[in-house]
Amino acid sequence: MVKEFFMFGLFVLLMAVGIVSHYMTYNATEQASEISRIVSLTKLASPSLSVAFYEPRIFLLEHAANPAYPQMQPINKMDFVYAKQ
Amino acid sequence: MPNSKFSNNAFLHFLTLLLFKQKGKHIGAILISVIIIFLLSSVLFISASLQHTLLGTLEKQADFTVSRVEAGRAVNTPLSWLDKIVEINGVSRVTSRIYGRYYFAPREKSFLIVGIDFFDEQNSKALQKLSQGINLKRFLSTPNMLIGKGVQAFLNAHYYKKSFSFKTPQGSFKKVNIYRTLPSQSDLIANDMIIMPIDLAREIFGLGEADATDITFNVPNGAEWDNIIAKLHLLFYDVRVVEKREVRKAYENLYNYKGGLFLILYLIAMVTFMLILYQRYSMVYSTERKEIGILRAVGWSIKDILKLKLYETIIVVFVSFVFGVILAYLYVFVWGAPVLNQIFLGGANLSNHVVFVPVIHFGLLGSIFLFYAVPFLAAVLIPAWKIAVTPPKEAML
Repeated sequence: MVKEFFMFGLFVLLMAVGIVSHYMTYNATEQASEISRIVSLTKLASPSLSVAFYEPRIFLLEHAANPAYPQMQPINKMDFVYAKQ
Repeated sequence: MPNSKFSNNAFLHFLTLLLFKQKGKHIGAILISVIIIFLLSSVLFISASLQHTLLGTLEKQADFTVSRVEAGRAVNTPLSWLDKIVEINGVSRVTSRIYGRYYFAPREKSFLIVGIDFFDEQNSKALQKLSQGINLKRFLSTPNMLIGKGVQAFLNAHYYKKSFSFKTPQGSFKKVNIYRTLPSQSDLIANDMIIMPIDLAREIFGLGEADATDITFNVPNGAEWDNIIAKLHLLFYDVRVVEKREVRKAYENLYNYKGGLFLILYLIAMVTFMLILYQRYSMVYSTERKEIGILRAVGWSIKDILKLKLYETIIVVFVSFVFGVILAYLYVFVWGAPVLNQIFLGGANLSNHVVFVPVIHFGLLGSIFLFYAVPFLAAVLIPAWKIAVTPPKEAML
């Protein structure tokens, strides 16, 4: 059983080495620079939160109007759909 | 391959024999451990990766964002404020922004429209960098827009392949061509984003020429920040000032909170698991008692038995930890964390397939290992020691 045990140990080690090599060789700078380009153009760095229309999408600059009844849409959100008189 | 020293070791032979012969017992413990380690590591990987990426963008963000408030909610900011802010000493790169969400009522989805002044030199340069080889003249000659991957997928699914007609507050429709798609690497920020010329955004939102959504500016001297905030509050009484320090805190708190929530759940699961494990080993079903009793009867000392159980448990702990972490790494950084990413980024609007940048805090992984390994070892060794100290005859009964 010693042989099987060492084979299993080798398999676990190989998997760990695979993960470490992926981590070491991953090109993170390309993704970071693409995001930086978007931010320097728009000056908006909020993550693209997939939230409902009445929930805040942009950190700190948008606030939920009524957290207790979030389904009630604030009037100002609908301003552009129904023009102000 | 094992060398002769190892393969001739009787203890190692017996240990591996036990591990393989009793694999049913170990597989159960390994499976539960792997699930717990996998879940916790996945959550920590996602939160660390998001935090790392977002904090990396802080440098490019404006130091201050100023908007007008009315009855506690943000309203359009007059552009006349911009001239007053420019006059404050120590302020640079003052610019107005137009952005907002466009609600697509038939499907209850929304896009984030950002209007950019492309006649500004800095903005046109930033656009050239973002979209290599873009012909700015051609882009501005007709109503065009750049869209995020999520918007593209949504519009494609609704047969808006080349253009989309926005409904303006006046009730008319504004047809805007899809010029290009934003790179998929920027999905974390720009999945639901639409970038268009500022005048076009004004028209779609029905904003007046003298209005903007907010005003941003930089203050290079950090020591002046508090002073600038005080000046802004003296200049305008209906103003909300958001500074970069708050944004940093917001990023840290949001994901720490979510990570913390999972940590509590993990602790509950971990304690339950340890209790089950302890109960399982302390009740010690007859085979386990018999096994220890026989070993004691054939001359094994208490130390030898504890050594055997310790090595057996260390192997189980180590294997489950490595498998759990590897699975979590693959799930988050290779497969994009299919279900968990919705907890962090939401799933109510457009679907977002974010590629997470691998970020691992080895100190944190070490702590998880210790929190997991120490109670596990205790849960196995204490009952084993209790049996080992009883006379073999009693233990085998």
